[in-house]
Amino acid sequence: MNDEPYRWLEAVANRREYIRDQLKGATPVLAFSRPEGILLVGVGSGNSKVFEIYDRLALAALGHPVDIEKIRQTVIESAHMEGFTRSPEDVTLRRLLNFSLGPALKTSFEQILSAPIIVECVFAELGTKVGQDVLARVNFDGTYRFENKGVVVVHTDHADETSAATWLREQLTDDMGVGAVRQLALAAWRALTADKPFTPPTTEGAGEKATPAELGGRVIECALLDRRISARVRYRGLEPAELS
Amino acid sequence: MNGDFIALLPKSPFATAQASGGHVPRLEATTVFAFHCAAGVIVAGDHRATAGNIVFSDRTEKILELDRHSLLGIAGSPAIAMEMARTLQTSFDFYRRSQLQPMSQPAKMRALARLLHDNLPATLQGFGLVAPIFAGVDGVEGGRPSIYFYDPMGAQFEAAAFAGSGSGAGSIKSVLHFLEQWSDPKPAEMPLDQAVTLANQLLMTAAEYDTATGGVDPARGDFATVKLLSASGVRSILADEQAGYWKDKVSR
Repeated sequence: MNDEPYRWLEAVANRREYIRDQLKGATPVLAFSRPEGILLVGVGSGNSKVFEIYDRLALAALGHPVDIEKIRQTVIESAHMEGFTRSPEDVTLRRLLNFSLGPALKTSFEQILSAPIIVECVFAELGTKVGQDVLARVNFDGTYRFENKGVVVVHTDHADETSAATWLREQLTDDMGVGAVRQLALAAWRALTADKPFTPPTTEGAGEKATPAELGGRVIECALLDRRISARVRYRGLEPAELS
Repeated sequence: MNGDFIALLPKSPFATAQASGGHVPRLEATTVFAFHCAAGVIVAGDHRATAGNIVFSDRTEKILELDRHSLLGIAGSPAIAMEMARTLQTSFDFYRRSQLQPMSQPAKMRALARLLHDNLPATLQGFGLVAPIFAGVDGVEGGRPSIYFYDPMGAQFEAAAFAGSGSGAGSIKSVLHFLEQWSDPKPAEMPLDQAVTLANQLLMTAAEYDTATGGVDPARGDFATVKLLSASGVRSILADEQAGYWKDKVSR
């Protein structure tokens, strides 16, 4: 049935619709390029959403946990092989997306008789200063775009995703610490998942005092690619005490 | 996916030596050692690399941080030893990232033993001998740092108080044995400043009788590579800090 071009196009369209349908209900993940480093925030219900990839690389993803694992393992393998064969400085997000993950995702998406990969994600690469950070929003079909405005929101509704990112940029100021940025991220997260207007965390009813109970029993995950430390490995999970 | 980075490589990097006969210049002779002190484990080494009777370098780093909780002191053929350290660094990082948990200390030690065993052809042919010491902390077992030394074929032995490897290690192990038996405080009871100063004194003692040990001269501001391993991880004791301890502890 798929040997005719229009049938193939129809099958791809159906596949796209199926994946979007499967992604409904997934909750957003966010990434912020800040003076301290790159902050990644996710809210999960058992399965992690924020991951270390390489010395200066991290991932935040939503979708099917098994598919997130596939993406994660693929990129980790590529990064470590490249870092070992050449050097850690040669492991860059642009090269990983261009030559490893992007083609793999596209091929997987277009193989319409195999199970699709149900993942949307953001990759982050820490630079030596804010302007050198790289954030990449990656779609399930292998397309991706690099974001240079310092904020990426990954959500299943792309219009809401853009609105959230715009709102967050308006709210962010240079003097905000990672704790304040995290509260802002949670405010955006709550607005997106509850389909309500964006409200700054300083006003009543917003995410300032978000607890696991207020988040539906989910666990807040925060990690920082830390620009301030000199260690080779910059990724570290943030403890609650660091975010207060 | 089992988190084994070495299995991803097209072939083992240490099992390919086929050379036979001929004279191959050997970059060896070194002094690295580790001992327990009150703050944790001190792992230290000199800076000299030699090729026969030639001083190849007096700026060599032989105490290598494999990850935040393990250190390798390398002795023997530097090319192979440094490549082993690089392989282990990548393996430990790869495992932690892919499996979402750190590799256990027994698995780390096994990985090092496996590399040494794979290096057997080069060892037997006389140009690739590596005899490292390993210091690590296993968080699963309460975080006490421990010291292990290896033979070139990969057998591992835990050191109760200290271990050393390289051409100057004999002198140092003799002194450490003496101090453990008859000094007060024993090295295992020494505070950090005293232990760091002792590490430099030990290397200067070894250098007195071993031309292949060198690069440590506090009078010129050249201190040993000294790293402290404790439950909280690895900390490098940099030259400025060592100079402060040296000034306080050594009167002459």
